[in-house]
Amino acid sequence: MEDVVCNGCSLLCDDVVVEVTDGEVHSLGLCRLGHQHLLSSIESNSPQASTRESGKATEVSIDEALERAAELLLSSERPILYGWSGSTNETITLGLELAKTLGGIIATPANLGMTQALSHTLHSMDLGIDLEYVRNNGELIIYWGSDPTESSHRHPSKFAVLPRGENIPEGIESRTIGVVDVRNTETMKMANHRLIIPPGMDSAILEALVSEISGTSSIASDVAGIGPQELIGLARNIRKADCTVIFYGSGIINSGNADANLSGLQAFIEAVRGIGKQAFALPMAPESNIMGAIKSLSTDASTSSITDIVAGDFDAALVVGDDALVELPGSAAKALAQLPLVYIGPPGITSGKARVSICITDDVITGIGTMNRLDLVEIEFKQWNSQKEERLAEHDVMARLLELIRKEKS
Amino acid sequence: MKLNPMELYNLLPKTNCRLCEAKTCMAFATKMALGDVLPEDCPPLLEKGFEKNLEKLRDLVAPMQSAEETGIKLDESKCTGCGNCVVVCPVDVAVEPPTGRGKAGRSRDTVFIVENGVSKIINLEKCRRFPPDRLNCRVCEQYCCTDAIEIW
Repeated sequence: MEDVVCNGCSLLCDDVVVEVTDGEVHSLGLCRLGHQHLLSSIESNSPQASTRESGKATEVSIDEALERAAELLLSSERPILYGWSGSTNETITLGLELAKTLGGIIATPANLGMTQALSHTLHSMDLGIDLEYVRNNGELIIYWGSDPTESSHRHPSKFAVLPRGENIPEGIESRTIGVVDVRNTETMKMANHRLIIPPGMDSAILEALVSEISGTSSIASDVAGIGPQELIGLARNIRKADCTVIFYGSGIINSGNADANLSGLQAFIEAVRGIGKQAFALPMAPESNIMGAIKSLSTDASTSSITDIVAGDFDAALVVGDDALVELPGSAAKALAQLPLVYIGPPGITSGKARVSICITDDVITGIGTMNRLDLVEIEFKQWNSQKEERLAEHDVMARLLELIRKEKS
Repeated sequence: MKLNPMELYNLLPKTNCRLCEAKTCMAFATKMALGDVLPEDCPPLLEKGFEKNLEKLRDLVAPMQSAEETGIKLDESKCTGCGNCVVVCPVDVAVEPPTGRGKAGRSRDTVFIVENGVSKIINLEKCRRFPPDRLNCRVCEQYCCTDAIEIW
């Protein structure tokens, strides 16, 4: 069996092994999400390209598809280059070059809220810990508006809840777990504190906890339907814990009160640090390299919000690495589908709608490049030899497209 | 099968005689609920007058003592392959210590292994619920978020 790096989600598990014998895939350690991702990547391993006119698809060579893609993008005055959350950092760098060359605008699924969250002043509070630090020190863990049982299956067992660490000798027995969500999630089964709150009431709960932790006032009545005993008990455990870590997800970012919620988290961290304890807040997002995309694109790219797509600000689109028509909100997906569309990535709904579609070999199989894990730690893919058929990496296709466009431009 | 220590305690002589290893009858009842001791390990219980209680206690602990091959069911259709069972299983951690620190298991000498995206029981006979340990251990069931593991 060979070591691989799984890009099925943002945990980028690098402790798993795979063997492929006579088309039979055998994995150890991969979760259901990762194993299914590997299976579909192997099934769609053969690179293929097609062009589509008036709804009719024609299979073409990769070279022909690249020429047609270059022609389409060069004829655009304002293209959007969307995706990147499933691409390697090296491919994203090429995407940035291409955006500059074309005068295009770059956007990622992170524009749906994660980028804004990471620009909040909350993230200027020295939150730079990695998941290994959480494993070794995280004594009180709260999943707030995030549900790893649905999207990052190994997050609790590998890092945050169950494993033993340097200062967590008994694993789960040495930790206290809280889950705050708008419904009864499966993650709640592991929790000591389960808070089911109405949507949009996160900041009210945070405010109550801050007042209780800092000792400014005591909770005397229900807050957002949660009884004072439960909240006081949670606050007491937070005060006792040496290191509290909140993993916040779309419940915080996409509930309509992102700014108030993030400010609430900031006040919470200030309050816990104010009593001499450690506190951190880390984002949760399922896309494999969403953090790499945010990191790369925060430097010098012209980025766009999703509303610009709906407003019809673009006259062509290049989608790379993300099945955009599945992931985007309906109105944005509809607007994107109406544009002349070039797609580079694994097969999916978007590849079936694009005017030019180049389906590539997934990075889990090519084993080349790097991605950033959820905590920004850079993980390098591992090369493995079980898949020796023809490969076409997304990075290679992007490099050829960039070269072609630069040549045409000059 | 879950044994309630209080139910067992109510059937004990409640003398805190210290003739057994436990310091109190309640501690003895807790040990019995975990399968660590048998009703016969309580000397006063063997005395005249406690026959009915002894019989009831034997009936209560009998299913745990007779468990040989069954007791844990893993529904693979519900399993997400999260690996929670591997990390919390004391047997698995003893066989392959890195799993206790969250690493994916690779050994085939463990109770559980996450294979092809789902957890599988590969050495049920090593589970601490079965002889010789016969402990009332349920950690895998307790931390299985999707209820794929069921112990009865």
